[in-house]
Amino acid sequence: MAVLVDKKTKILVQGITGTQASFHIPRAMAYGTNIVAGVVPHKVDKTYLGVPVFETVEEAKNKTGAEASLIFVPAKYAKSAILEAIHAQLRVVVVITSGIPVSDMMEIKHELQNSSTILIGPNTPGVITPMEAYMGIFPDNIHKSGRIGIVSRSSTLTYEVVLEINKVGFGESTIVGLGDDVILGTSFVEAIKQFNSDSKTDTIILIGGIGGNYEIEAAEYYRLLKNKKPIIALIPDDTPLLSDNDGLASEIICRGIITAADKKRILSDAGMIVVDNINDLKSELLNL
Amino acid sequence: MNIHEYQAKRIFKSFGITVPNGLIAYTPSEALEAAKAVSGAGPWVVKAQIQAGSRDVGKFSDKRAGRKGGIRISKTLDKVYENADEMLENQLITNQTGAKGRLVSRVYVEEFIKTEHKFYLGLVVDRVAASTILLVAPVTEKDDAIVKLATEYPDKILKIDLGLQKEINKEQLLLVKDFMHSLVTIRELKAFLNKMLKVFYTYDATMLEINPIGINKAGKIWALDAKIVFDNNALYRHPEIKKLSDTSEIEERELIAAQYGFQYKEMDNGIGIIVNGDGLALSTMQQAAQMGIGTACFLNLKGGVDRDKITASIKLIMTNPRVDGIFINILGGFLRCNLIADGIIAVANDLGLNIPLVVRFEGTNKDEATDILKKSGLFLSIVSDTHEGLVLLKDAIAEDL
Repeated sequence: MAVLVDKKTKILVQGITGTQASFHIPRAMAYGTNIVAGVVPHKVDKTYLGVPVFETVEEAKNKTGAEASLIFVPAKYAKSAILEAIHAQLRVVVVITSGIPVSDMMEIKHELQNSSTILIGPNTPGVITPMEAYMGIFPDNIHKSGRIGIVSRSSTLTYEVVLEINKVGFGESTIVGLGDDVILGTSFVEAIKQFNSDSKTDTIILIGGIGGNYEIEAAEYYRLLKNKKPIIALIPDDTPLLSDNDGLASEIICRGIITAADKKRILSDAGMIVVDNINDLKSELLNL
Repeated sequence: MNIHEYQAKRIFKSFGITVPNGLIAYTPSEALEAAKAVSGAGPWVVKAQIQAGSRDVGKFSDKRAGRKGGIRISKTLDKVYENADEMLENQLITNQTGAKGRLVSRVYVEEFIKTEHKFYLGLVVDRVAASTILLVAPVTEKDDAIVKLATEYPDKILKIDLGLQKEINKEQLLLVKDFMHSLVTIRELKAFLNKMLKVFYTYDATMLEINPIGINKAGKIWALDAKIVFDNNALYRHPEIKKLSDTSEIEERELIAAQYGFQYKEMDNGIGIIVNGDGLALSTMQQAAQMGIGTACFLNLKGGVDRDKITASIKLIMTNPRVDGIFINILGGFLRCNLIADGIIAVANDLGLNIPLVVRFEGTNKDEATDILKKSGLFLSIVSDTHEGLVLLKDAIAEDL
């Protein structure tokens, strides 16, 4: 099996009638994704895009057996939509919405601590298991099925990596986009855990982001992991963008570590193969 | 979003946090009047108002200001006038402003408060823990010391994870009190910290710093400085905060892009890069640098879906005179390539296309976008990957010159 989502996963879509969902959901369906329901509070339509529409996540789950939710709800209303999905005890929740207030995400993270839901995002391309299904907004024409698991904080860099490794004959088991927001529902650790025990994944590619210490947390986890699969970590030089980062000073004060150079050193110490560009990533992959 | 120190202090005051008397001044004469109004006798502190830290150890670009920084204790009214005169309409350069510095359009004139002990107090959001962290650190005379301390002696900073707590508890309070070894009473400390938290949560701040607080002989705490960073994503809940935004320090192109929800940044000289993500921006610039190509500026369209905003933003790069070639490198997921193609054509029709342009589309609506560009008859190159794009652009620029 792949991780988090495959062609059998029953998925409901919160905010299915919005413009963006209306564009992306039919593409996902055509790809093979098993969309079973939509959820719209104060619904008007009984069905939309060929699936039944419900007013609550709970009802949609009970009537259709949905186990995962894909959220396209605008930022202002995202908190209640996400909490609704968590309270309905869905297994996986993917949040495409960007621009959710930090304090809302702090509350959501707090709720997650007492729940078994895996929250991917917000501001993520989602999760894709190539040639089977995807929950998100992936381009549908670039992925190939294979044995590389990818977990990433950067959507565009992920697409670039996929295109380049596929050129030299690789393909992907599953790709997990963690998202590009200040606070992430799921960090690298959960994805590494899933990939490490996935029989269809041989090698993991980790793609870092700017600021934040999610990579450091991943290093601490990986260092202690038993029977670990190789991880190649792509950490691009971040100096051109670091000075723009409003939270930079607070992150330094809070954690003392921040730059790409710091991350590279720590990930490498933890046993990962660390590269800073895609060409080197390809050569390392071919060397394994 | 950042605000100025004086604005943050007004907010502090409205929450009952003790701040020195102060007034804002746009001219040296106003500074003089302000000084007379805030305190009958000196000394006063004249503080350059820019939205960046390390003002104290900064330097002004115009030499008339001498070698002193942007925060100056002034013992006489003449000195207040002189210091205001030197700082106003001058660029203040600190380690947080970049080489050009920021224009000082106003100074804040305050009464000088004599205190016995000084500390750095901060509330920040720790991203990984999704918690609010209270930071307390000793302060030396330089106001950039905290970052240095954090990197070199992180153990000297007290960090308390407050989770989602809206008030400090007794155990945490005792930790802070012990750390400070000062005259301050538990009661005063508790009230002060809880007011800080109240400001932080009321306005969706992601960072609140007081560098420093001063504690006087009577054990009273003064906020001698104030910095608040607000969460841009939550500004819709606080229209009164949004109104405080002062954009005069931001580059015009950056400002326009930001209004559309995009990111624009000027760098050195060379090509202009249009991408749709941070990671792709870094990776493209890095590959360019390895090939000896500089980057003049980049535009990150993120997940833009509005055709008009995309068009207006592409124009920002095309009209930047320092750009000698453009690479549009799009890996569409949420963003659809055809919208970019429409934008390119609209801008080219409007302004003409007189520098080399290389376009790479991948992902959502790639084929449609490629067709649109091919049919347009515009003189541009379409490539299939980043490396090919940069090679082609480098050659085209060389021929163009």
